[in-house]
Amino acid sequence: MDLVVLVAFSSWLAPTLASVADEDKDYDSAFHYDYESLRIGGLVVAVLLFIMGIALIVTRKCTCSNSDKSRPRGPDVESAVPKDS
Amino acid sequence: MGYGRSDSYRVATTQDKVDKSPKKKKGAKDMDDLKKEVPITEHKMSIEEVCRKFQTDIVQGLTNAKAAEYLIRDGPNALTPPPTTPEWVKFCRQLFGGFSVLLWTGAILCFLAYAIQAATEDDPAGDNLYLGIVLTAVVVITGCFSYFQEAKSSKIMESFKNMVPQQALVIREGEKVQINAEEVVGGDLVEVKGGDRIPADIRVVSAHGCKVDNSSLTGESEPQSRSPDCTHDNPLETRNVAFFSTNCVEGTARGIVICTGDRTVMGRIATLTSGLETGKTPIAKEIEHFIHIITGVAVFLGVTFFILAIVLGYSWLEAVIFLIGIIVANVPEGLLATVTVCLTLTAKRMAKKNCLVKNLEAVETLGSTSTICSDKTGTLTQNRMTVAHMWFDNQIHEADTTEDQSGERGRGRRVPLFDKSSVTWLSLARIAGLCNRAQFKAGQDALPILKRDVAGDASESALLKCIELCCGSVRASRDRNKKVAEIPFNSTNKYQLSVHETEDVNDNRYLLVMKGAPERILDRCSTILLQGKEQPMDEELKESFQNAYMELGGLGERVLGFCHVMLPEDQYPKGFAFDTEDVNFQTDNLCFVGLMSMIDPPRAAVPDAVGKCRSAGIKVIMVTGDHPITAKAIAKGVGIISEGNETVEDIAARLNIPVSQVNPRDAKACVIHGTDLKDLSQDQMDDILRNHTEIVFARTSPQQKLIIVEGCQRLGAIVAVTGDGVNDSPALKKADIGVAMGISGSDVSKQAADMILLDDNFASIVTGVEEGRLIFDNLKKSIAYTLTSNIPEITPFLLFIIVNIPLPLGTITILCIDLGTDMVPAISLAYETAESDIMKRQPRNPFRDKLVNERLISIAYGQIGMIQALGGFFAYFVILAENGFLPTRLVGIRLNWDDRSCNDLEDSYGQQWTYEQRKIVEFTCHTAFFVSIVVVQWADVIICKTRRNSVFQQGMRNKILIFGLFEETALAAFLSYCPGMDVALRMYPLKPSWWFCAFPYSFLIFVYDEVRKLLLRRNPGGWVERETYY
Repeated sequence: MDLVVLVAFSSWLAPTLASVADEDKDYDSAFHYDYESLRIGGLVVAVLLFIMGIALIVTRKCTCSNSDKSRPRGPDVESAVPKDS
Repeated sequence: MGYGRSDSYRVATTQDKVDKSPKKKKGAKDMDDLKKEVPITEHKMSIEEVCRKFQTDIVQGLTNAKAAEYLIRDGPNALTPPPTTPEWVKFCRQLFGGFSVLLWTGAILCFLAYAIQAATEDDPAGDNLYLGIVLTAVVVITGCFSYFQEAKSSKIMESFKNMVPQQALVIREGEKVQINAEEVVGGDLVEVKGGDRIPADIRVVSAHGCKVDNSSLTGESEPQSRSPDCTHDNPLETRNVAFFSTNCVEGTARGIVICTGDRTVMGRIATLTSGLETGKTPIAKEIEHFIHIITGVAVFLGVTFFILAIVLGYSWLEAVIFLIGIIVANVPEGLLATVTVCLTLTAKRMAKKNCLVKNLEAVETLGSTSTICSDKTGTLTQNRMTVAHMWFDNQIHEADTTEDQSGERGRGRRVPLFDKSSVTWLSLARIAGLCNRAQFKAGQDALPILKRDVAGDASESALLKCIELCCGSVRASRDRNKKVAEIPFNSTNKYQLSVHETEDVNDNRYLLVMKGAPERILDRCSTILLQGKEQPMDEELKESFQNAYMELGGLGERVLGFCHVMLPEDQYPKGFAFDTEDVNFQTDNLCFVGLMSMIDPPRAAVPDAVGKCRSAGIKVIMVTGDHPITAKAIAKGVGIISEGNETVEDIAARLNIPVSQVNPRDAKACVIHGTDLKDLSQDQMDDILRNHTEIVFARTSPQQKLIIVEGCQRLGAIVAVTGDGVNDSPALKKADIGVAMGISGSDVSKQAADMILLDDNFASIVTGVEEGRLIFDNLKKSIAYTLTSNIPEITPFLLFIIVNIPLPLGTITILCIDLGTDMVPAISLAYETAESDIMKRQPRNPFRDKLVNERLISIAYGQIGMIQALGGFFAYFVILAENGFLPTRLVGIRLNWDDRSCNDLEDSYGQQWTYEQRKIVEFTCHTAFFVSIVVVQWADVIICKTRRNSVFQQGMRNKILIFGLFEETALAAFLSYCPGMDVALRMYPLKPSWWFCAFPYSFLIFVYDEVRKLLLRRNPGGWVERETYY
């Protein structure tokens, strides 16, 4: 999981690093930072993380309900039908 | 509590509204009075004396005038409802109880601080106001949530009311009149018949085959016969008293009313139950303890920095605001919601496993339980008589008593099957089927035999079902053997007989079948059927009969003897008129066939469950209204008295010495009779509870059950009570957790209980214990996690005060952590699985094992929290340094920094900053600090997953936790990057590199705690464990 996070981070880093690299030539111009792409990149990551989290929960729900269905039914079936001796 | 029951005895009930103050004083005394045994003495008086006492007449009944007079004196024959708590009071309890107090205090302090600021400053910062509002909102929302969650109503009295009979047949002035049961008064002559509810406590003056079902009162499964003679000193056991709201099953009886309304035995139980005050739940006590610790820390920090601020030269008012700020910063805003949600989740999970929890706090109680007092009838047993053993062919055979006829008896034992082809067995089955008045109710052919309803008394039904199961339709057999004559069972004969035609059409003889008390039956027999052959009864066979009878009786079973005879055709030709009144046929020289014994058998899952409770260190005590022999037999059957353990009496019998010579210390088990219990002093009682591990209380009254529970609680045990009857309800209410049975339980018991087992399965209790222990552990983890982030939230403010740096973390960002990013991971810890087998350890000691202890605080605040704070400050200094403010420049800069008029503040490089520019940098720092806390909390939630094991042992299977990690990061990124946040929450977008400032600290936390846990595991009981294991 951490790997995924790292990848996500680095992909979001790349454009801003590039933009910083472009600009460090002119030392006298006013300090400028590309907040717009930073914002977009950050939001994209946030949304991605959010969706991944939701996806995790949804998959969990599925397996959970499956196992829940199978588990209580087992003993029920046994007790519902008495074995006449 | 607080309503004088015995007062209203003497004065009219209208008094109720008059003076309430003296009643409250008497409340406590009344409760003690109620706990005493029933003060009925009428059963020992002769009928004449009773009549004299009530000035009534045995034939004419009361006069109408007298009845009216009594009605005014005693009040109506109804149960007084307890004073109900209005809904708003309950709501307020949720709103101001326990943890909420802490948040309320915080909110009030916030408003106070804001008021001070508003009064002194021109343009006060709104932070304190917002914080106060948010705190209030959190408390109110959580309060509403738990109010609706619980929505439990104490309708105890109402469910008692449902049991009250509506109409009663009384004789007044010689005439039978049907009146409302409420109007029945003491001295009334009442008539009851089968199917009626008894309208009041009555002293029976005459009865015809009257049987009453006392199971709701005493727990005895079988109906008891009633007759005019006093058979026992104890009013609950004597035959000549019938009790209010019990059922008359069959026969008729006439009696004089001796108690009405609240003074009846049932009324006393009702009043006792609804009047009992229950203590705080264990988890409530733990939370209180936690609040004390937190308050202590908060006040200590606050006062220290207040003094420090004064020393540093701040004004009084500023110092007070700092004091309040620090105290409030210590309040874990999100914890109340976290705890509530964690408990709710567990409650939901338990409900899925058929444990319905009525009170949210009771979720944990089973986990702390160290003693379970269990009722027998209906809880441990199936509450239906079943044939358990048979003796024929000079041998004892075992019948299958399991609920589903699977033959499984737990622990892998199986019931050996007997030879069903034996002729003797066939004869026995025929007698049991024919000499039996019970029959299946119509229209149940589709149902399995054991589930069908039967009309008839318990033991006959048991025989009927047994025969139907083994040998097919009893009805068909009865049709083939038409009944010619019958003498029903009565207490003088102690037998029941019937005469039938034979199956064989050509055989004109009559078959006489008889069943009854074994010794009586044997007296009438001269021969015995062995392997299908009639043999003369000799001494040897008689002795073997005696042995079998003793053995089965010793198992607590009810034994019946069976015999038959073919009546000779020459004496009793076809069409012979059998006269059952004046018996004109042979009733001796019969042929003995066998014995059958019945018991209310234990439920299948109980022995395993009891075993699991044992291994979890929980003491299981049986408390029953039933007879000691039966109770002991069942206790042995389910393992409450484990194999090989003996009672004092057993030891005495084995060594052949008098009971008094046995050292009671030698016996681990003991069976105590209710009448002995009455004479025990408190010390003796404590002694018994302390020194015996396996205890059975038999013949106990509802009051005694309560006393037993109180005795256990006095010894420091956390007591769970399971029960299903009305007689258990006081004990259920008093217990730390009352567990009622969902299917068989009475309404009253369900109302009094905190938890209901929906499937009546005692084994669900084990689930409850497991879940309770798990949630206790997980709450610890959750609290440890939540508290940790308090330190990186407080330290910025402290440094702000002491070294005068620009504020590193604002109130809003703190709230974003506590109520935002921290919430999901904290809750996800409730889904954590157990680290070790929690059912193998002893129950926690409520005095020693606290939910939150100093070690937890030391880990959270002193160790992990400090590292987190370092991480946050690192990010803060990095950002300021990147902007030109090196750390050395920052110290002492605060006054200028926060000065609106200073727009040319120089940084370390001489750049000038306006106020607005500075603030943007400051708020960017807040955001970075916030993000750093999120990053270090990643590591924190992972280390909080376990308290002893390594994360690598525990694994990361908790998907909710991973979800939490994703969500908190997403939320942090969203708050930082979402356009408009700079206006709304004053949060600014962070450069990507600033996210990584806290990473090393996060890693450090992980490594630090893994090493700590490694040391802890390597040296059990060592310094690390003693100082850091929470």
